[in-house]
Amino acid sequence: MADETSDGVELVGVQVNEDTCIGAGQCEMLEEDTFYVDDDTVIAGVIGTGMLPRDRAQKVVDTCPSRAITIVEPAAEEEQ
Amino acid sequence: MSSTAAVNLHNPAVFQAGIPHEVFAEMRATPGLTWSPEHDGTRGFWSVTRYDDLVTVSRDMSTYSSGVGHIQIYDIDEDALEARASMIDMDPPVHTRLRRIISSAFTPRHVKKYKGAIQARVGACLDELEAAGGGNWVDVVAKPIPIGVICDLMGVPEQDHNYLIGLTDHLVAGTGAEPLEPTAYGNTTELRLLPFNSPAAWAMSQYATELADVRRAAPEDDLITKLIEAEIDGERLATEEFANFFRLMIFAGNETTRSSMAHLALYLEQFPDAFAAAQLDRSLIPALTDEVIRYSSAILYFRRTVTAPTELSGTALDVGDKVVMWYCSANFDEAYFPDPYAFRADRPTAPPHAAFGGGGAHFCLGASLARLEIAELISDVLNRDLSFASIGQPEFVESNFVNGIEHLEVTL
Ligand code: HEM
Ligand code: SF4
Repeated sequence: MADETSDGVELVGVQVNEDTCIGAGQCEMLEEDTFYVDDDTVIAGVIGTGMLPRDRAQKVVDTCPSRAITIVEPAAEEEQ
Repeated sequence: MSSTAAVNLHNPAVFQAGIPHEVFAEMRATPGLTWSPEHDGTRGFWSVTRYDDLVTVSRDMSTYSSGVGHIQIYDIDEDALEARASMIDMDPPVHTRLRRIISSAFTPRHVKKYKGAIQARVGACLDELEAAGGGNWVDVVAKPIPIGVICDLMGVPEQDHNYLIGLTDHLVAGTGAEPLEPTAYGNTTELRLLPFNSPAAWAMSQYATELADVRRAAPEDDLITKLIEAEIDGERLATEEFANFFRLMIFAGNETTRSSMAHLALYLEQFPDAFAAAQLDRSLIPALTDEVIRYSSAILYFRRTVTAPTELSGTALDVGDKVVMWYCSANFDEAYFPDPYAFRADRPTAPPHAAFGGGGAHFCLGASLARLEIAELISDVLNRDLSFASIGQPEFVESNFVNGIEHLEVTL
């Protein structure tokens, strides 16, 4: 699986827990190519490849006020 | 494990010269939570002063309730709580249903649409200040911008903005506004049932109810229309529910941002290096904006009430205990904000400051809007290379709840 960019930065997946998301959109503010808050449900979803460099993914995780975002570790993804 | 507070945090005078940083630094350094004993008939409370404890309380909404008891330190009767309740005084799931009626209007993507209108308001206020060669920064700049923006969003006509400014001025205890007679504005409700025990709250409800009638006859693309048309489980908001919602929006969208904008003028004078850095590198403006919001901590605290026996930081808590989250302390927690009293244009934005709350369902709905308003004010100040020839002593709002500035005279 391509979990690195061409210059060797480690990429990880991100996911949103729809039950705890409060639609504050802090994720969309930081990474608008990866998160999108739906107009009707006001819940964030992952768009595009859903992959981010680990440091940026961690920053979104830390910023989300309801701890609704988690990093999907590449290994865990393969097991599914 | 706990200790007793060295100063009386019930007393607004403790905050008269701004946030008493030494008091909070000492409380943060003391293990456990700090107890403030009963004062003047108001029950005692626990203070949460460290960032990690604050985040724990803020996100555990079932143990630390907003709906049980008041969200301010002083207690109020059950019927008064009921009469004034808006979503900020409720717990999920009711809270969630109410918040979803309007939350889509406040996501960062939506908020960007208001940028042009905000720039116009900021520009007009700074034009006025420049034309007069200075003035009271609070009246000329910090007050009109946020009230104008939130009124536009709600759908309040321009000619009524000043009326609402006048009403909100009466809603914070200790503001310089003249005390009102109990029957001011024609109020007939018992004061104890009104938010901030003020007839101005009643007047605001009256105003909201009349405006709702106008919108029912002629709907517009605004939040008032959204609120009156919304259905929760097939039911529309009752008149009182609508009026309380309206009042929350006007108050929350106004007072807070005003305080941060007022402090901004002080910071321009006190921390010129940070602004000079942003002048050279405009990409620092978002971080500088959050630094203004952290440093000013416009809302000093919100309270929660314990619903089940628990323990926090080694302090045992009982059902009914009042737990006060001091945002103005967590924002200066050395463990999370190195060199916390330094005002920096390049402070990392993660972990986020707690001025918009420590996270959880009540996280400030207007965070993106407030950031945009303050960022546009900073941008325009930099564009004009605005600097003060002199700046007066700030007159702080005497309150242990908001970190407001009443008056700040500047000359250009
Ligand atoms: C610098 C400006 C602002 C600051 C410091 C601030 C701070 C806060 C804080 C501390 C809370 C409570 C968070 C919690 O309990 O976890 C809050 C809630 C709220 N804020 Fe703000 N706020 C600001 C601007 C705004 C603006 C511009 C609006 C306009 C819409 C707004 C609307 C609200 C609302 C509606 C709530 C209640 C949310 C809920 O209960 O779900 N705020 N704000
Ligand atoms: S930051 Fe968190 S709560 Fe806010 S929209 Fe994104 S996932 Fe949801």
